[in-house]
Amino acid sequence: MEMTAETPHLLLVDDERSIREPLAQYLVKQGFRVTQAGDAEAARARLNAYSIDLVILDIMMPGEDGLSLCRHIRETSETPVILLTARSEETDRIVGLEMGADDYVVKPFSPRELAARVKVVLRRLIAGGTRQHAPETGSFAFAGWVLKTGERTLVDREGVSVPLSTGEFNLLHTLVTRPRQVLTRDQLLDLTQGREAAAFDRAIDNQVSRLRKKIEPDHKNPTIIKTVWGGGYTLSAEVTRL
Amino acid sequence: MGWRLYAVGGSDQALSDRPARRRLLPPLWPRSLPGQITLLAAIALFGAQAINFTLLLRERQQSRLGQVIFPAATRVTDSVDRLKTGVALDKRSNITLSDTNPIDPSLRRQPEVEEGIRRLLRESNIPVRAVVTGLHPASPDDPALDKFGPVMAERIRRIRRYGVELRIAVDLPGRGWLTLSAPWPRTEQFVVWQLLGQTAVLYIVVLIPLLWSGYRIALPLRNLANATRRFQPGTPAAPVDERGPRDVRAVIAAYNSLSLRVNAMIDEKDQMLAAIGHDLRTPLAALRVRIESVEDDVDRARMADVIDEMNRTLEDILSLARVGRPSEPLTDTDLAALVDAVVEDFRDLDHDVTFEETARLTMRLRPALMRRAIRNLIENAVKYAGAAEVRIVPGARNIAIEVADRGPGIPQESLDKVFDPFMRLESSRNRDTGGLGLGLALSRAIVSEANGEIKLENRPGGGLLARIVLPRAT
Repeated sequence: MEMTAETPHLLLVDDERSIREPLAQYLVKQGFRVTQAGDAEAARARLNAYSIDLVILDIMMPGEDGLSLCRHIRETSETPVILLTARSEETDRIVGLEMGADDYVVKPFSPRELAARVKVVLRRLIAGGTRQHAPETGSFAFAGWVLKTGERTLVDREGVSVPLSTGEFNLLHTLVTRPRQVLTRDQLLDLTQGREAAAFDRAIDNQVSRLRKKIEPDHKNPTIIKTVWGGGYTLSAEVTRL
Repeated sequence: MGWRLYAVGGSDQALSDRPARRRLLPPLWPRSLPGQITLLAAIALFGAQAINFTLLLRERQQSRLGQVIFPAATRVTDSVDRLKTGVALDKRSNITLSDTNPIDPSLRRQPEVEEGIRRLLRESNIPVRAVVTGLHPASPDDPALDKFGPVMAERIRRIRRYGVELRIAVDLPGRGWLTLSAPWPRTEQFVVWQLLGQTAVLYIVVLIPLLWSGYRIALPLRNLANATRRFQPGTPAAPVDERGPRDVRAVIAAYNSLSLRVNAMIDEKDQMLAAIGHDLRTPLAALRVRIESVEDDVDRARMADVIDEMNRTLEDILSLARVGRPSEPLTDTDLAALVDAVVEDFRDLDHDVTFEETARLTMRLRPALMRRAIRNLIENAVKYAGAAEVRIVPGARNIAIEVADRGPGIPQESLDKVFDPFMRLESSRNRDTGGLGLGLALSRAIVSEANGEIKLENRPGGGLLARIVLPRAT
């Protein structure tokens, strides 16, 4: 990325100087313009003072925490947010996404990975014009199933939860958020490769066939995830956001 | 390390039903406190009553003997006098004279009476060859009684209602058998009824209050026992009602304050863990950011691996310390799909893990924790054997999840020890960075929390079999 007026301006909010400063240095080296803030109050001031393209926000901060600030940013602007989280124990639940964050990285994260995520979110923003408002959050009902993204769980009609592998979840999530769109294998690969990339090396077809076994009434005659002639899949069921 | 202090060790007896210590007691023996107190009191009361009545009975028998022996001897003496002086026997006195022994030998004799009469007659210088008695059952409605005249008949009837008739025959040398009848009250029967009646009254008067006061003690104790059983460390529960006698109230109050203290300690522990977690994660994260400036790719990758490993250990420690009070709710979950999902995650990372597909198996459990328990077992197998075979074995009461490998196994004598947090095996399974770590300890804690158990065994032909057994209904 060139150092032009187009250089993306990042706001890095973290109370830990030991993380914030080297991270800022790294991101500057990667071609971003970086402004730092040590707490939520300072962050609000910087948000007003500058035109910020993306906020990198630590959830755990003394005083007003990152989630509250994230909610504030979401209410007042379209600026994308990437959260720095500690993995929440016991559940795979990612709280931040419900607050409208665009992505998250789990501490201790690789700065390389963070930079890559920042680029993905910014590219998505430029490509889509406006950001897709919290596309990953909430629950989706389709064909008698409910996909709960917060808990990353699929729940059937009787309320029994059917655990999904990470790959299955990401694929189903991608399909459910784009109902009745035809998605090619390449598109699906690209869309599901948000995080933990290694998990998606296996062929999309394989994942689809596994998902069908789990959710289709008859997986040999799929009615929910349909194969489209010429390559690709589509979710043909009605999807309701809950 | 001091971590061990906070490790929640699962109990080994989680699955085995604790067999109640049964001593050899008859089946109707009460097991409750009031029941036992009341039964003991009842037995003691009955014993005391029985002793009392034995004494009373003896006394009654003595006085009865007196009541029978003296009048009978007097009447015999009187009749002998009449016979001596030639006066006819008094008809109304109901004394007869016969040549042979008129008493049926099958009747029950009363030796004390015979002996007493003989002694008295001897003292009166009346020669007697034999005294024979016999208890004669008599009916008060016998019409033959009318021959004695209305007054006498009425008297005899009264006697007969009261008891039986004792016939006494005295063999007077040269004169024949003198026979008379005396009333013989059925003392024994009467006394037994009296014993039963009095005991019944005593029971009502003593045992009912005893039972009531027993329940007054036992009920709060039972509530206390239930509360103790339900006690979930870290979950504030309503204090147990302080009821019952003072001693019991004191016990309940002590329990209430104990549970408060335990919860306070656990809260403190959680805060401490959160602080430790934060304080260790932050420098790790800072370090992770800083190593990005290391030029050498290989070096940097190694550093990143070490940091990841440290972080995993940290997370394991924190999880292990929290297993006892999970925040994840119990959820109806398809266990087959759960195991399948865990296996699939390994296959996505190109690990050789096989799973025999199993029909849907709905269980009530904490899915994320259970996933973790199973994941740790598979991770272990993959790490030491490079591959794992996973299957679900549904049973009538239990469901087993088996993770088998063909690795080096574990020496037989160490099979139980590997569940200890931070256990290191000197031989086959050692890891550069921290023994077996916490994986197995964490798995066991999670499974124990779900009332299940985890077992390891070496497979014939080499390799290790790890089996999680979960009860079907929890």
